Amino acid sequence: MVDVIKKKAKEVQESLFSSVGSSVLTIGTSYLVLNFFRGMFGFVMSSDKDWLAVLNNMQLYMVQAYPESDFIRVWISVGLTFVFSGVSIGLWRSDDRSNISVMFDRFYKLGLGVLFFTIVAPTFTSYMGNDGYVITEEVFSRSSRIGMLIPVLLITVGFFLLKNRKINFSFNNSDAVFLYLSIPIALIWIIELPTIQLDQNKDRIIPDPLMPIANTTKVPWTVIFVLFLLSYFIGIYFKEVKRLKNIMSISWFLLPLLIFSWIFKKPQIEMAEVLTGDIPIFLIFFAVGLGTVLLINNPIVKKYYSIYIGVVIVATIAGVFISIPMLAKACLLLLGLFVTVVPAVSTSQQGKKSLIIIWAVALVTLTFLLRGGASETGIVVPGSSIFGGFSLTWLLAIFGTYVSFPLGVLLALGRNSKLPIVRIICTGIIELVRSVPYITWLFFASVTLAVFLPAGVEFNLIVRVLMVTAFFSGAYFAENIRGGLQSIPKGQYEAADAIGMSPFQKIGLIVLPQALRAVIPTLVSSAITAFKDSSLVTIIGLFDFLTIGKTVIDNQSVPVNFVGHQRENLIFVAVVYWIFTFTLSRRSMKIEKRLGLGER
Amino acid sequence: MSKKAIVSLLVLSMIAVACGGTDDAVEEVVEEVAMTTLEEVQARGFLKCGVSTGATGFTEVADDGSYSGFDVDYCYAVAAAVFGDYSKVEFKQLTAAERFTALSAGEIDVLIRNTTWTQSRDTELGNDFGPTTYYDGQQLMGRKSDGLSDSSTLADVDGLRVCTNAGTTTEKNITEGAGLVGATIELVTVEAFSEAIDKFIAGECDIVTTDGSGLVGRRAVNDALNDWAIFPASPISKEPLGPTYRSNDSQWADIVNWTVYATIIADEYGVTRANIDSFDYDAAPEMGRLFGKNDGELQTKMGLSADAYYNVVKQIGNYDEIFSRNLNPLGLYREGSYNDYWNNGGLVYAPPAR
Repeated sequence: MVDVIKKKAKEVQESLFSSVGSSVLTIGTSYLVLNFFRGMFGFVMSSDKDWLAVLNNMQLYMVQAYPESDFIRVWISVGLTFVFSGVSIGLWRSDDRSNISVMFDRFYKLGLGVLFFTIVAPTFTSYMGNDGYVITEEVFSRSSRIGMLIPVLLITVGFFLLKNRKINFSFNNSDAVFLYLSIPIALIWIIELPTIQLDQNKDRIIPDPLMPIANTTKVPWTVIFVLFLLSYFIGIYFKEVKRLKNIMSISWFLLPLLIFSWIFKKPQIEMAEVLTGDIPIFLIFFAVGLGTVLLINNPIVKKYYSIYIGVVIVATIAGVFISIPMLAKACLLLLGLFVTVVPAVSTSQQGKKSLIIIWAVALVTLTFLLRGGASETGIVVPGSSIFGGFSLTWLLAIFGTYVSFPLGVLLALGRNSKLPIVRIICTGIIELVRSVPYITWLFFASVTLAVFLPAGVEFNLIVRVLMVTAFFSGAYFAENIRGGLQSIPKGQYEAADAIGMSPFQKIGLIVLPQALRAVIPTLVSSAITAFKDSSLVTIIGLFDFLTIGKTVIDNQSVPVNFVGHQRENLIFVAVVYWIFTFTLSRRSMKIEKRLGLGER
Repeated sequence: MSKKAIVSLLVLSMIAVACGGTDDAVEEVVEEVAMTTLEEVQARGFLKCGVSTGATGFTEVADDGSYSGFDVDYCYAVAAAVFGDYSKVEFKQLTAAERFTALSAGEIDVLIRNTTWTQSRDTELGNDFGPTTYYDGQQLMGRKSDGLSDSSTLADVDGLRVCTNAGTTTEKNITEGAGLVGATIELVTVEAFSEAIDKFIAGECDIVTTDGSGLVGRRAVNDALNDWAIFPASPISKEPLGPTYRSNDSQWADIVNWTVYATIIADEYGVTRANIDSFDYDAAPEMGRLFGKNDGELQTKMGLSADAYYNVVKQIGNYDEIFSRNLNPLGLYREGSYNDYWNNGGLVYAPPAR
């Protein structure tokens, strides 16, 4: 025991007090941090703060005006995401096991932290009253401090003893996620929160009565947790099926599209349009694709195949500008991609068969999603968009990354191209987009873009924002990826050429996997930036998560008066952003570790 | 496959990605064949009304996402006049910077966003202003403990720190006003008024200034009636707030204007939501004409249904009801203010309906 303490003391001395300079730094910084914490604690606890301004507006924060009668759609969206996560965690379950003492150590450290902050927390806090005099009030009395210290101390000591006992029990790291998540799920059934109640005169009852969390919140979360767990077991059961992993990867790409075009949106489908529009277009394109695959080995077809590709490409470009159904435009694009890969894959009978299946599935998915996306929504909200609050932040973050990432890859490849025109265009786009601030682009989307579009075409503001966001973060992605591309030795390209790979195979199988792997940290930080930057849409009047906290609640005087409670809401918003970005960066660290980045 | 094909494909995909985002959002194409605003609104089936991103009492969003407020009620009123159903409104929240661009770009049909009627906005921006619905004026608020009272003047702020939001007429007015009386002030500018008041509460500035309605509202909700003083008694600027619409569409202008006038005339005659059906219209032929009780050709000539303004008052209420519902809880009352009825010394006045 003495040795341990000596060792620790030496560690502390070495890392914090190794010289006069570092001692001064250590003491100075700890003084600042401690005071910051004490000020923060006093701020949070002082009686002029109304944290119910946050709690009471949770619905507004999450979905803004989404009607309560359709909340089941929101829950299904959240639930589906959790089910997919469960299956994925199961499928990619790591075999790393940790000893139980690691978990005890984690709780022990947490306990130490709580203990420390309980001791240093201030007893009094002061704020300026309406009359201009400073009011000092007790926020953490001696009795409540002792009442908190004793149990925390006992728990911490308990975990300390447990962690030092060599218990021969280990658990899978993936399983631990569920164990940790079960704690909040259990808590929502137990804890009671202050809730706003109005009396007959519509005045707020003070103090706010404690109420258990409503069933409309805790039942869905519990169901989702159970489904999450079940899907995890399903994932583990099918762990060995390799094809399922591929399907899962594609599903992750399609899931947000499905959520936003069908589940969240509640499209009003007109059967007549489906029968006269979608189905014929689907059949025509399926037939064309089928014919391409079947006739590819015919010598005449082979001879004129490049002309065929050219025709499809011209038709796609033309399709963008002429007024044909959206579905036809998208199908033309898909056909363009399809016909370029057909010659490489359809060398065997097996390859042809899977090509036909892929073509059918891709077309069906596209038709299905586009029908949902293009139809009128059945959700009635007073504002101009069914997205608001966190759902809007999420939409901007996901689609911002979705669209901008492939665009970034294309721009990066284009910038590295040997063809001067392509290089100039790509460089031009990247430099133009990067040299203008994001806020300027947002104003461009909000007030100028409408003027540039052809007469009669009108895009929703959110779509315009998505368009500029795609280009903006696409340009940044492109520069990051270009860095990765430059790290690939020339020998790799030459080796690929030597074994007779087509340019597509070279890029897709040799260059991109290595280049992307090299830049994962910067890609993740770009994605985090995109997520956080989505809050800038507040300046063009879109109601994202931050705007709700900053502007909307601060002006709410009915049904409950929350005017002037902006700071509580801003702290809440900051904490939520922190939780998401922190999780994201931890995940990416795990991925880097798994890919052996920086080690090989 | 040739390199050229690959390259063209890349370019193409870029175009496609750019257009890919458009998948689910091409709104129904609005035919721009010289439709009047009324025709456009009627064809669309709902009114697009520009409101504030948040102004206590004027535009508020409740915890379930529903809208309320003085400006919001006038949006509802216009929808009730056009469609006979007040709920046919789509609200578009606009920041101060975008409001006029949004209006001129046709993204909204009418802007009711506590917008001050000024000469330059009226003449240069291609807008026209409707009748003023709320007469406001800039005032200052300070602590009584600093020796300020409701009868203080601008000269008393000499040497004090004044918080206000930047880039508005408010900032210009206070600098101009203080300069005229020879008071030196330290101007602290922030982005939004809520920040200014937060700084004031935290003691980072001694005075906060904006439109009087905002100050009275904040003083009431902060429970500081006895601690904070609002002065000078006669505001340092004129801020008439009212609806705004695009110029050169007098039919639409008339519809919006007379919606406001209808609420004022109904108030004059004491017609409320409650007594509108039991009111004796024979004794007040003007009300009868306005509500289409006789022939209603005044309304049908405007392109509306005969009972358009009956629907407004039936569904939203008269001026006094709209005012008291939204602004009385904030401590803003009509009595003695410019917003009182013209017979009582206020400025709220409507031309006769005949």
